[in-house]
Amino acid sequence: MTSLTLFRPGKSGLHRLHPLTKLSISGFCLIASITLPDPWMVAGLYFFLMVPLAAWGGMARRFLIACVQFIGPFMLSLFPIQGFFGRGTTILFEIGRFSLKQEGLLLAADYTVRILAGLGAAMLLMFVTRPDHLMQALSERGFPRSLGYIVVTTLQILPRFQEKTQMILNAQRARGLETEGHLLHRARRLLPLVGPLIMGSIIDIDERAIALEARLFNHPGPKTSLHPLVDSRAQRITRSTLSGLIVLLVLWRLLGWLSP
Amino acid sequence: MDKLKQEFTTLTLVLIPVAVAINLAVGQLVIALKLPLYLDSIGTVLVAALVGPWSGALTGVISSVIWTATGWFPQAIAWVGVAAVIGILAAAFKQGGWLDGPVKAGASGLITGIVAAFLSAPIAAYVFGGVTGTGTDVLVAAFSGTFGLDILGANMAQGVVSDPIDKLVTFLIVWALLRSLPVRLQARFSGEE
Repeated sequence: MTSLTLFRPGKSGLHRLHPLTKLSISGFCLIASITLPDPWMVAGLYFFLMVPLAAWGGMARRFLIACVQFIGPFMLSLFPIQGFFGRGTTILFEIGRFSLKQEGLLLAADYTVRILAGLGAAMLLMFVTRPDHLMQALSERGFPRSLGYIVVTTLQILPRFQEKTQMILNAQRARGLETEGHLLHRARRLLPLVGPLIMGSIIDIDERAIALEARLFNHPGPKTSLHPLVDSRAQRITRSTLSGLIVLLVLWRLLGWLSP
Repeated sequence: MDKLKQEFTTLTLVLIPVAVAINLAVGQLVIALKLPLYLDSIGTVLVAALVGPWSGALTGVISSVIWTATGWFPQAIAWVGVAAVIGILAAAFKQGGWLDGPVKAGASGLITGIVAAFLSAPIAAYVFGGVTGTGTDVLVAAFSGTFGLDILGANMAQGVVSDPIDKLVTFLIVWALLRSLPVRLQARFSGEE
């Protein structure tokens, strides 16, 4: 599971925080990156809160690389599309009948910063939080336990699924299936690949359901955990403060919209 | 509430992770075959058809969460609502008997695709400034440049071109799968044992 998700184990203070504390930090950063009125403030949030947090978790480098990897394709589309096709009157230069507008570029920059901070907040959470611990913390707060089971199981079976996909792809190739060539040819090849993959995996879920039921999976009532989560008073205060700030940010933004 | 409990049996809870894995694995397979489709909702439609609307919707939601958690496509979480709607629509078509024949299944796919396109476009336009950070952005630029559409319009046009074909293929694959799945297994899902 650890290699599939963004999570990387570590011994830092950030890693040791209660999953819900990390969730509220991430939630605060996400909401702030949407609601803060000035993109410079969002940039400040990113560079002076999120990057230091990643450094505290010992993953500043990894975090920055991941951010560059996902923001790159966005910028590649955002600047030309907003620059040429967005609204604006300040024309920088023209190519044929298209004109590059300053307002469009500024808006693209605004979006870039907000996407960087917003998705960065989600990724930061994933980097330092074990998915199963997060689901455990949520179910301790009344989140349905079956949802936690679904998320964690999915992460566990995905690598096996990818292996199986590769195996079927190789097996069909060995039988002479062409995965290159004309578009329609490739589309027709899809069924002999997708069919075995899906049928094979659905057939054996029956057995897994029986195995779970035999272990009282559906038994109601409290369950104990192998790894109890550590919480503290300071963290509880931090969480309430951040939740309060999130509500304030949203209200502030809503008021800004209602009174022009 | 009873209906909800009825859907989420142990068998459903075991099926959903497999369906999410199907969504992601086939999504990646399509990239390997270099097809201009997504096919990232086969599992969602399959669960919706086998079990019902809530499990279909949940499969879509969890898939979006996993695309984000793995970092393969972090922005997926923004379209989480669309993924859920696809599951609900597929269950509705199944209950109306539309997934019994290939023509009707294809039509259900087209309709689902159009709905998905209209729901997705505002998200791309307002959350991400009109782009998704993927190859289809080229189409958005083309629609904007050729027809002078604004950014929301160009996103709608891109969606209406890409999504119905994608969902048509998805629904046809699910129709074929439903035909070849053992009847005994299908009966267990619909609670008709």
